[in-house]
Amino acid sequence: MVLLAKAALGLGGTLVLAGAYTMREGVIRIDVDEFRSGGSHVHLWVPAAAVPMVLHFVGEKHLHHACDQARETMPILHAIAKELKKYPEAEFVDVDDGDEHVRVRTHTGKLQIDIDAPDEKVHVLCPLSTIEDVTIQLGQPASGA
Amino acid sequence: MSDRNSRFLSKTALIAAAALVIWPLGTSAQSATAPASPTQSTTSVSKDRWLHVRVVSSDAKGETVRVNVPLELAERVLPAINKDHLHAGKVKIDDAHVHDVDLRALVDAIRTTKDGEFVTVESNDCDVRVAKQSNHLIVHVLDKENSKKSEVEVKIPMKVIDALFSAGKDELDLVAALHALSAQGDTELVSVKDHENTVRVWLDSKNVTD
Repeated sequence: MVLLAKAALGLGGTLVLAGAYTMREGVIRIDVDEFRSGGSHVHLWVPAAAVPMVLHFVGEKHLHHACDQARETMPILHAIAKELKKYPEAEFVDVDDGDEHVRVRTHTGKLQIDIDAPDEKVHVLCPLSTIEDVTIQLGQPASGA
Repeated sequence: MSDRNSRFLSKTALIAAAALVIWPLGTSAQSATAPASPTQSTTSVSKDRWLHVRVVSSDAKGETVRVNVPLELAERVLPAINKDHLHAGKVKIDDAHVHDVDLRALVDAIRTTKDGEFVTVESNDCDVRVAKQSNHLIVHVLDKENSKKSEVEVKIPMKVIDALFSAGKDELDLVAALHALSAQGDTELVSVKDHENTVRVWLDSKNVTD
């Protein structure tokens, strides 16, 4: 019994450390619901810390291709993400036309984009630090090329 | 260690392990599902300067557009954009667009002139007034042509105009203009009112629109 408890404690501790490491930057959350026949419903939760790690495993060829395509926008995105981190709780865009409501804001250090329309709902939540990390990683090969 | 104590310790260790496993899941779920209530939006009054744009449509739907941009963010992001005529926060002006008017000389002339009215047009169709007043360039247009009047008022601090034209020839320095704008107090820059829309562009220290 004692051995089992020690093993459980060790396993639990490892899981906590792994969980805390993975979740330290929060989660990227993407929810897309299209209210029409054949409409897609996507609900995605990804640990934010996993994204830069995953990028390391993407083939260099594919990464270069992505970097080439995003060469112009990456420095802009990086600058925006870096600056937005200074405004962890702010509303930037709010468009409401009665039927549709679009909102872009930062909330608890995450970029939050909400689109509420009669035929679709899109909600994106992404930590700003993750956007900054990704733009740095994608910008490095591009600048080196 | 007695059998009873051993069993108690084992149970405690198991509960602790279970709690350790469940705790981060609970906290991560809590942080992910935390409602983003608009009422939680803070109205911070800080040294940050915010440029606000608000468009309110008077149609049945009552469309509203609110854009809030921190000037510091715009100042830092603009130099990163290099597209078409915009490079390093400066816009290149084509000679063709200026129609042989020396904008720099015009700005110099306005800067050195005392406060007063430069242009005053009063007609049945519209009234136009261009003036310099309290170190601000003011343009006021009242369109009376239609039965539904429309009114445009632009009020730009002279320091901002100076900064805008501080770059080389045929260039507008947007970053310098934004920097000069950030040094201004709370002020309304543009106001447009017509029968369809009301547009306001103003500067203050709040990160949300009123």
